[in-house]
Amino acid sequence: MIENRATRVWASIHARARADGTGATVQHACLACAQATVAAGAGLSMTSGTGPELMFATDSHAEELEELQFTLGQGPAVDGADGASPVLVADLSAAEAWSRWPLFAPAAAERGIGAVFAFPVAAGAARFGMLDLYRRSAGPLSSAELADALAYSDAILVLALYDRGGLHAGVEMLTNGDLAERRAEVHQAAGMASIQLGVTVIDALARLRAYAFVHDRGLAEVAADVVARRLRFSSDAPADNHADESGSDRPQDDGKASG
Amino acid sequence: MTSSEVRVRETFVELADTLVDDYDVIDFLDMLAGRVVELLGVTACGLLLADHNDSLNMVAASRESARVLELFQLQRDEGPCLECYRGGTSVRCPDLADADERWPQFAPAARDAGYAAVEAIPMRLRDTVVGALNVFSARPGALSPESAALGQALADVATIGILHERTIRHYETVTGQLQTALNSRILIEQAKGVLAERLNISVGEAFGVLRNHARSANQLLGDVAQAVVDGTVHLTAPQSSDPTR
Repeated sequence: MIENRATRVWASIHARARADGTGATVQHACLACAQATVAAGAGLSMTSGTGPELMFATDSHAEELEELQFTLGQGPAVDGADGASPVLVADLSAAEAWSRWPLFAPAAAERGIGAVFAFPVAAGAARFGMLDLYRRSAGPLSSAELADALAYSDAILVLALYDRGGLHAGVEMLTNGDLAERRAEVHQAAGMASIQLGVTVIDALARLRAYAFVHDRGLAEVAADVVARRLRFSSDAPADNHADESGSDRPQDDGKASG
Repeated sequence: MTSSEVRVRETFVELADTLVDDYDVIDFLDMLAGRVVELLGVTACGLLLADHNDSLNMVAASRESARVLELFQLQRDEGPCLECYRGGTSVRCPDLADADERWPQFAPAARDAGYAAVEAIPMRLRDTVVGALNVFSARPGALSPESAALGQALADVATIGILHERTIRHYETVTGQLQTALNSRILIEQAKGVLAERLNISVGEAFGVLRNHARSANQLLGDVAQAVVDGTVHLTAPQSSDPTR
């Protein structure tokens, strides 16, 4: 399998969920990520109109560091809010870090933090928030740890989307669902559905996922139907609005859905 | 100098000119994919980048038809790009008719799309392979040694374009920059969807509308895509629109 990393990442999240006797949540993903990347703590903040909001912290120490960033308006979660790329600061005591974050860098160093790495929990314009990893000692993430952190960020996005779609994440529904986020038509469909529903792209993505789950279909397959205009979402009929199958004489896109 | 030599020179001047300014990585790669088709005399070209799961993702293509995009999508599991990415060297298939055993899904799909030959050229940064440049030809046959060398040079320029984008950002690693390029592509796909729905055109046409607006307004493609998704800019449909294309 190519997707070893994603599979392993999901297995670690599900193991924590099972130990708690619940479905997988973003909390389980944050805890598993902190462990996999040897971080002292992790914080997950949610992007909102009024600035980042704390969603979860692995411990009180991480929570304090998150709140510090929001209060000061400085730090990786603030810088990375555009969702474009990770913010990787391997040495918080370096001059570069201090000039970048004149208040946050010394304050974090004072609390015994040597390095901070922040990852957008996002896909294009669908920006959920930021995952911050705090380490005691300075030094970069290894390339495997970096790739793991990105894979955990993907997983957190999927879990957050299920949450928004009003679904509780069971074990089976997720293990194969994560990779579909990388498919072009999933994002094209999210853009189309956002207009059909009059909602943001992230909410449209959540609706696509929820629809796929409720109808026991693959996300990519549902997305292909939306792109080929065989399926429309409407703000009047929230959950289920299957297009009339008699419309199959309509000219079809050459990338037709499988099945 | 022959006319094709002049064109090669002009292309490299154009690419270098883009790289010294603030530029949009997807727009840059899109332009490069178009030049590859022209200069190598091939039918289609796409650029695929690896993500943190070691999966290949399309970031730019000389044509955005669903059928062509599907060929890039298939190469997550099999095909010349995957082999090229894993092996770090060019993979050529001068005749797709002979490739069913090697690529049971990809080879028939590529033939169905009208292609007879395919080649994948690695995108490398020192000893790391970050992706592959993929060219398709409607007629069988391998690229000439000159074309293959030119293809490699263009693949190298593409790599530079991705990894040097906005070097003012500190601390960023290759992984971070690949992530940025992949994420830019996702934003563009979302904007294509928004436009396709608003204008009742195909997503392939929507890409053309986005790109033409970015170029004529002299804006970065990603900024236009963001504005489209945010609803702060309203673009108009092209003259002859056909939602089935």
